[in-house]
Amino acid sequence: MKQAKAIKKVPGGKLVRVDITYGERLEKVIITGDFFLYPEDVLPVIENALAGALLPLEKTSLIEKVQNILNREKAVLVGFSPQDLIDILEEAMQS
Amino acid sequence: MRYRMIPFRYFNAYMNMALDETIMEGIRTGTTPPTIRLYGWKPSAVSIGYFQGLEYEVNLEACRRQGVDVVRRITGGGAVYHDCDGEITYSLLAPLALFPDDLIQSYRLICGYLIEALQLLGIEGSFQPINDIIVDGRKISGNAQARKQGVLLQHGTILYRVDVEKMFTLLTVSEEKISDKLIRSVKKRVTSISDILSVSFQEVVTALETAFRNNLETEYGDYTDEELKRARQLAEQKYSTHSWIAMR
Repeated sequence: MKQAKAIKKVPGGKLVRVDITYGERLEKVIITGDFFLYPEDVLPVIENALAGALLPLEKTSLIEKVQNILNREKAVLVGFSPQDLIDILEEAMQS
Repeated sequence: MRYRMIPFRYFNAYMNMALDETIMEGIRTGTTPPTIRLYGWKPSAVSIGYFQGLEYEVNLEACRRQGVDVVRRITGGGAVYHDCDGEITYSLLAPLALFPDDLIQSYRLICGYLIEALQLLGIEGSFQPINDIIVDGRKISGNAQARKQGVLLQHGTILYRVDVEKMFTLLTVSEEKISDKLIRSVKKRVTSISDILSVSFQEVVTALETAFRNNLETEYGDYTDEELKRARQLAEQKYSTHSWIAMR
Protein backbone atom coordinates (compact mmCIF):
# COMPACT_ATOMS: atom_id res chain seq x y z
CA MET A 1 0.00 0.00 0.00
CA LYS A 2 1.36 3.43 -0.95
CA GLN A 3 0.64 6.82 0.48
CA ALA A 4 0.72 10.11 -1.36
CA LYS A 5 -0.51 13.66 -1.04
CA ALA A 6 -1.06 16.72 -3.19
CA ILE A 7 -2.12 20.27 -2.54
CA LYS A 8 -3.59 22.99 -4.71
CA LYS A 9 -4.60 26.59 -4.18
CA VAL A 10 -7.49 27.01 -6.56
CA PRO A 11 -7.22 30.36 -8.37
CA GLY A 12 -9.93 32.61 -6.93
CA GLY A 13 -10.87 29.79 -4.59
CA LYS A 14 -9.46 27.97 -1.59
CA LEU A 15 -6.65 25.62 -0.68
CA VAL A 16 -7.39 21.90 -0.98
CA ARG A 17 -5.15 19.03 0.10
CA VAL A 18 -5.66 15.31 -0.43
CA ASP A 19 -3.94 12.50 1.41
CA ILE A 20 -4.45 9.10 -0.18
CA THR A 21 -3.63 5.49 0.48
CA TYR A 22 -3.72 3.24 -2.56
CA GLY A 23 -2.78 -0.09 -4.03
CA GLU A 24 -4.63 -1.37 -7.07
CA ARG A 25 -7.40 0.97 -6.11
CA LEU A 26 -7.84 4.05 -3.93
CA GLU A 27 -8.18 2.72 -0.40
CA LYS A 28 -8.50 5.89 1.61
CA VAL A 29 -9.00 9.55 0.74
CA ILE A 30 -8.75 12.43 3.21
CA ILE A 31 -9.64 15.90 1.97
CA THR A 32 -8.59 18.93 4.01
CA GLY A 33 -8.34 22.66 3.42
CA ASP A 34 -9.82 26.08 4.05
CA PHE A 35 -12.85 25.63 1.81
CA PHE A 36 -16.54 25.74 2.74
CA LEU A 37 -19.07 22.94 2.34
CA TYR A 38 -22.68 22.98 3.49
CA PRO A 39 -23.81 20.73 5.01
CA GLU A 40 -20.43 19.89 6.45
CA ASP A 41 -21.07 16.17 6.91
CA VAL A 42 -21.13 15.65 3.14
CA LEU A 43 -17.32 15.61 3.08
CA PRO A 44 -16.98 12.09 4.53
CA VAL A 45 -19.63 10.94 2.04
CA ILE A 46 -17.43 12.21 -0.79
CA GLU A 47 -14.28 10.70 0.73
CA ASN A 48 -15.96 7.31 1.14
CA ALA A 49 -17.35 7.42 -2.39
CA LEU A 50 -13.89 8.03 -3.85
CA ALA A 51 -12.32 5.21 -1.83
CA GLY A 52 -12.55 2.04 -3.86
CA ALA A 53 -12.01 3.69 -7.22
CA LEU A 54 -9.92 1.57 -9.52
CA LEU A 55 -6.62 2.85 -10.88
CA PRO A 56 -5.90 4.47 -13.21
CA LEU A 57 -8.61 6.93 -12.23
CA GLU A 58 -11.49 7.44 -14.61
CA LYS A 59 -11.64 11.17 -14.12
CA THR A 60 -14.92 11.89 -15.88
CA SER A 61 -16.90 9.33 -13.94
CA LEU A 62 -15.34 10.42 -10.62
CA ILE A 63 -16.17 14.07 -11.28
CA GLU A 64 -19.72 12.98 -12.06
CA LYS A 65 -19.83 10.88 -8.89
CA VAL A 66 -18.82 13.84 -6.70
CA GLN A 67 -21.24 16.16 -8.49
CA ASN A 68 -24.05 13.64 -8.02
CA ILE A 69 -23.38 13.52 -4.28
CA LEU A 70 -23.48 17.31 -4.08
CA ASN A 71 -26.77 17.35 -6.01
CA ARG A 72 -28.33 14.55 -4.00
CA GLU A 73 -27.36 16.13 -0.67
CA LYS A 74 -28.30 19.63 -1.89
CA ALA A 75 -24.79 20.58 -0.82
CA VAL A 76 -23.00 23.81 -1.60
CA LEU A 77 -19.26 23.57 -2.15
CA VAL A 78 -17.31 26.82 -2.15
CA GLY A 79 -13.63 27.20 -2.96
CA PHE A 80 -13.05 24.31 -5.34
CA SER A 81 -14.96 22.21 -7.85
CA PRO A 82 -15.32 18.45 -8.32
CA GLN A 83 -12.97 18.82 -11.30
CA ASP A 84 -10.34 20.50 -9.06
CA LEU A 85 -10.66 17.68 -6.56
CA ILE A 86 -10.13 14.93 -9.08
CA ASP A 87 -7.23 16.85 -10.65
CA ILE A 88 -5.56 16.97 -7.22
CA LEU A 89 -6.21 13.26 -6.69
CA GLU A 90 -4.52 12.54 -10.01
CA GLU A 91 -1.63 14.79 -9.10
CA ALA A 92 -1.18 12.89 -5.83
CA MET A 93 -1.04 9.60 -7.73
CA GLN A 94 1.68 11.00 -9.95
CA SER A 95 3.74 12.45 -7.11
CA MET B 1 -36.68 40.57 14.29
CA ARG B 2 -34.93 41.94 17.35
CA TYR B 3 -31.38 40.86 18.07
CA ARG B 4 -29.84 40.48 21.48
CA MET B 5 -26.59 42.47 21.44
CA ILE B 6 -24.05 41.07 23.90
CA PRO B 7 -21.21 43.52 24.58
CA PHE B 8 -17.54 42.62 24.22
CA ARG B 9 -16.27 40.07 26.68
CA TYR B 10 -13.28 37.75 26.89
CA PHE B 11 -13.56 33.96 27.00
CA ASN B 12 -11.12 31.18 26.26
CA ALA B 13 -11.19 29.54 22.83
CA TYR B 14 -13.28 26.56 23.89
CA MET B 15 -15.96 28.71 25.53
CA ASN B 16 -16.07 31.05 22.55
CA MET B 17 -16.82 28.19 20.19
CA ALA B 18 -19.16 26.54 22.69
CA LEU B 19 -21.17 29.74 23.15
CA ASP B 20 -21.73 29.95 19.40
CA GLU B 21 -23.03 26.39 19.32
CA THR B 22 -25.16 26.93 22.44
CA ILE B 23 -26.82 29.98 20.93
CA MET B 24 -27.39 28.13 17.64
CA GLU B 25 -29.13 25.37 19.60
CA GLY B 26 -31.31 27.92 21.35
CA ILE B 27 -32.33 29.64 18.13
CA ARG B 28 -33.17 26.29 16.58
CA THR B 29 -35.43 25.34 19.46
CA GLY B 30 -36.93 28.80 19.74
CA THR B 31 -35.64 29.54 23.24
CA THR B 32 -33.02 32.10 22.22
CA PRO B 33 -33.39 35.30 20.21
CA PRO B 34 -31.12 36.10 17.27
CA THR B 35 -27.89 37.26 18.82
CA ILE B 36 -24.86 39.35 18.06
CA ARG B 37 -21.95 38.83 20.39
CA LEU B 38 -18.60 40.63 20.46
CA TYR B 39 -15.71 38.88 22.12
CA GLY B 40 -12.02 38.38 22.55
CA TRP B 41 -9.83 35.36 23.19
CA LYS B 42 -8.03 35.00 26.51
CA PRO B 43 -5.60 33.34 26.42
CA SER B 44 -4.70 34.03 22.80
CA ALA B 45 -5.60 31.13 20.55
CA VAL B 46 -5.34 29.60 17.12
CA SER B 47 -8.58 28.45 15.54
CA ILE B 48 -8.60 26.17 12.53
CA GLY B 49 -11.35 25.69 9.99
CA TYR B 50 -13.66 22.70 10.29
CA PHE B 51 -12.10 20.92 7.31
CA GLN B 52 -8.45 21.69 8.01
CA GLY B 53 -5.84 19.17 9.05
CA LEU B 54 -4.52 20.11 12.50
CA GLU B 55 -0.97 18.92 11.91
CA TYR B 56 -0.81 20.74 8.61
CA GLU B 57 -1.91 24.07 10.02
CA VAL B 58 -0.66 24.50 13.56
CA ASN B 59 2.74 24.40 15.23
CA LEU B 60 1.40 22.67 18.33
CA GLU B 61 4.71 22.79 20.18
CA ALA B 62 5.06 26.55 19.62
CA CYS B 63 1.46 27.07 20.79
CA ARG B 64 2.10 25.04 23.93
CA ARG B 65 5.34 26.95 24.64
CA GLN B 66 3.61 30.31 24.24
CA GLY B 67 0.45 29.39 26.12
CA VAL B 68 -1.73 29.67 23.04
CA ASP B 69 -4.85 27.47 22.95
CA VAL B 70 -5.84 25.61 19.80
CA VAL B 71 -9.43 24.94 18.81
CA ARG B 72 -11.31 23.65 15.79
CA ARG B 73 -14.23 25.78 14.62
CA ILE B 74 -17.55 24.49 13.32
CA THR B 75 -17.10 26.83 10.37
CA GLY B 76 -14.90 26.29 7.34
CA GLY B 77 -12.15 28.64 6.26
CA GLY B 78 -8.55 28.96 7.30
CA ALA B 79 -6.41 28.96 10.43
CA VAL B 80 -6.52 32.21 12.41
CA TYR B 81 -4.32 33.49 15.20
CA HIS B 82 -6.53 35.33 17.70
CA ASP B 83 -4.24 37.60 19.70
CA CYS B 84 -5.93 38.62 22.94
CA ASP B 85 -4.98 42.28 22.46
CA GLY B 86 -4.93 42.36 18.69
CA GLU B 87 -8.35 41.38 17.51
CA ILE B 88 -12.07 41.86 17.97
CA THR B 89 -14.32 38.95 17.05
CA TYR B 90 -18.05 38.98 16.43
CA SER B 91 -20.65 36.29 15.95
CA LEU B 92 -24.02 36.89 14.36
CA LEU B 93 -26.48 34.07 14.95
CA ALA B 94 -29.99 34.08 13.51
CA PRO B 95 -32.56 32.02 11.61
CA LEU B 96 -31.18 31.20 8.17
CA ALA B 97 -34.44 32.33 6.57
CA LEU B 98 -33.52 35.95 7.34
CA PHE B 99 -30.56 35.80 4.94
CA PRO B 100 -30.03 35.28 1.21
CA ASP B 101 -29.69 31.63 0.16
CA ASP B 102 -26.74 32.62 -1.94
CA LEU B 103 -23.66 32.22 0.21
CA ILE B 104 -21.68 35.11 -1.23
CA GLN B 105 -24.66 37.45 -0.97
CA SER B 106 -25.13 36.57 2.70
CA TYR B 107 -21.41 37.17 3.37
CA ARG B 108 -21.69 40.47 1.52
CA LEU B 109 -24.70 41.53 3.60
CA ILE B 110 -23.16 40.80 7.01
CA CYS B 111 -19.70 42.01 6.04
CA GLY B 112 -21.45 45.25 5.06
CA TYR B 113 -22.01 45.94 8.78
CA LEU B 114 -18.29 45.55 9.42
CA ILE B 115 -17.46 47.80 6.50
CA GLU B 116 -19.76 50.42 8.03
CA ALA B 117 -17.92 50.03 11.36
CA LEU B 118 -14.65 50.70 9.57
CA GLN B 119 -16.23 53.75 7.90
CA LEU B 120 -17.25 55.08 11.31
CA LEU B 121 -13.57 54.96 12.20
CA GLY B 122 -12.60 56.66 8.94
CA ILE B 123 -11.39 53.57 7.08
CA GLU B 124 -12.64 52.64 3.61
CA GLY B 125 -12.98 48.89 3.40
CA SER B 126 -14.56 46.69 0.77
CA PHE B 127 -15.92 43.18 0.56
CA GLN B 128 -13.72 40.70 -1.28
CA PRO B 129 -15.47 37.44 -2.06
CA ILE B 130 -15.50 34.78 -0.81
CA ASN B 131 -15.31 35.92 2.79
CA ASP B 132 -12.83 38.75 3.36
CA ILE B 133 -12.84 42.50 3.90
CA ILE B 134 -9.90 44.40 2.50
CA VAL B 135 -8.46 47.90 2.85
CA ASP B 136 -6.21 49.10 0.05
CA GLY B 137 -5.94 45.54 -1.19
CA ARG B 138 -4.92 44.15 2.20
CA LYS B 139 -7.03 41.83 4.34
CA ILE B 140 -8.30 43.35 7.58
CA SER B 141 -11.15 40.94 8.34
CA GLY B 142 -11.81 37.25 7.74
CA ASN B 143 -15.27 35.74 8.15
CA ALA B 144 -16.80 32.27 8.15
CA GLN B 145 -20.29 30.82 8.15
CA ALA B 146 -21.93 27.66 9.39
CA ARG B 147 -25.47 26.80 8.37
CA LYS B 148 -27.06 24.12 10.50
CA GLN B 149 -30.68 23.06 10.83
CA GLY B 150 -32.13 26.39 9.80
CA VAL B 151 -29.69 28.54 11.78
CA LEU B 152 -26.94 30.73 10.40
CA LEU B 153 -23.77 31.54 12.27
CA GLN B 154 -21.33 34.01 10.81
CA HIS B 155 -18.32 34.84 12.88
CA GLY B 156 -15.30 36.85 11.95
CA THR B 157 -12.51 39.07 13.09
CA ILE B 158 -11.36 42.62 12.72
CA LEU B 159 -7.63 42.97 13.15
CA TYR B 160 -6.75 45.72 15.61
CA ARG B 161 -3.04 45.03 15.71
CA VAL B 162 -1.16 42.29 13.91
CA ASP B 163 2.17 40.66 14.72
CA VAL B 164 3.00 38.67 11.60
CA GLU B 165 6.22 37.24 13.01
CA LYS B 166 4.41 35.79 16.02
CA MET B 167 1.57 34.52 13.85
CA PHE B 168 4.06 32.57 11.79
CA THR B 169 5.63 30.90 14.77
CA LEU B 170 2.20 29.47 15.64
CA LEU B 171 0.84 28.53 12.26
CA THR B 172 2.56 25.72 10.45
CA VAL B 173 4.86 27.18 8.05
CA SER B 174 7.73 25.46 9.85
CA GLU B 175 9.77 27.97 11.81
CA GLU B 176 12.97 27.45 9.87
CA LYS B 177 11.11 28.09 6.65
CA ILE B 178 9.94 31.54 7.66
CA SER B 179 12.09 33.62 5.41
CA ASP B 180 12.05 37.40 5.58
CA LYS B 181 10.66 37.29 2.09
CA LEU B 182 7.62 35.31 3.16
CA ILE B 183 6.91 37.58 6.12
CA ARG B 184 7.25 40.66 3.94
CA SER B 185 4.84 39.12 1.48
CA VAL B 186 2.23 38.45 4.20
CA LYS B 187 2.72 41.96 5.55
CA LYS B 188 1.77 43.24 2.14
CA ARG B 189 -1.40 41.15 2.17
CA VAL B 190 -2.56 41.83 5.76
CA THR B 191 -3.28 45.05 7.57
CA SER B 192 -4.82 46.12 10.86
CA ILE B 193 -6.60 49.16 12.22
CA SER B 194 -3.48 50.22 14.13
CA ASP B 195 -1.51 50.17 10.89
CA ILE B 196 -3.92 52.73 9.45
CA LEU B 197 -4.86 55.07 12.29
CA SER B 198 -4.54 55.68 15.99
CA VAL B 199 -7.70 54.60 17.83
CA SER B 200 -8.21 52.63 20.99
CA PHE B 201 -9.38 49.03 21.12
CA GLN B 202 -12.57 50.24 22.81
CA GLU B 203 -13.29 52.70 19.99
CA VAL B 204 -13.24 49.82 17.52
CA VAL B 205 -15.57 47.79 19.72
CA THR B 206 -17.95 50.76 19.94
CA ALA B 207 -17.86 51.28 16.16
CA LEU B 208 -18.77 47.64 15.62
CA GLU B 209 -21.67 47.82 18.08
CA THR B 210 -22.89 51.03 16.46
CA ALA B 211 -22.75 49.59 12.95
CA PHE B 212 -24.73 46.51 13.95
CA ARG B 213 -27.28 48.68 15.78
CA ASN B 214 -27.61 51.03 12.80
CA ASN B 215 -28.60 48.14 10.56
CA LEU B 216 -30.49 45.74 12.80
CA GLU B 217 -33.05 46.12 15.55
CA THR B 218 -31.13 45.32 18.70
CA GLU B 219 -31.36 45.46 22.45
CA TYR B 220 -28.52 44.91 24.86
CA GLY B 221 -28.51 41.62 26.70
CA ASP B 222 -26.23 39.06 28.27
CA TYR B 223 -25.66 35.32 28.28
CA THR B 224 -28.17 33.49 30.46
CA ASP B 225 -27.02 31.20 33.26
CA GLU B 226 -28.40 28.26 31.26
CA GLU B 227 -26.39 29.26 28.20
CA LEU B 228 -23.19 29.59 30.19
CA LYS B 229 -23.80 26.22 31.82
CA ARG B 230 -24.47 24.50 28.49
CA ALA B 231 -21.45 26.23 26.90
CA ARG B 232 -19.17 25.08 29.73
CA GLN B 233 -20.41 21.55 29.12
CA LEU B 234 -19.71 21.79 25.36
CA ALA B 235 -16.33 23.39 26.00
CA GLU B 236 -15.34 20.53 28.28
CA GLN B 237 -16.89 17.63 26.40
CA LYS B 238 -16.33 18.75 22.81
CA TYR B 239 -14.23 21.79 21.95
CA SER B 240 -11.29 21.14 24.29
CA THR B 241 -11.06 17.42 23.47
CA HIS B 242 -8.33 15.90 21.34
CA SER B 243 -10.88 13.97 19.32
CA TRP B 244 -12.52 17.21 18.19
CA ILE B 245 -9.40 19.31 17.73
CA ALA B 246 -7.50 16.58 15.88
CA MET B 247 -10.55 15.31 13.98
CA ARG B 248 -8.69 15.87 10.68
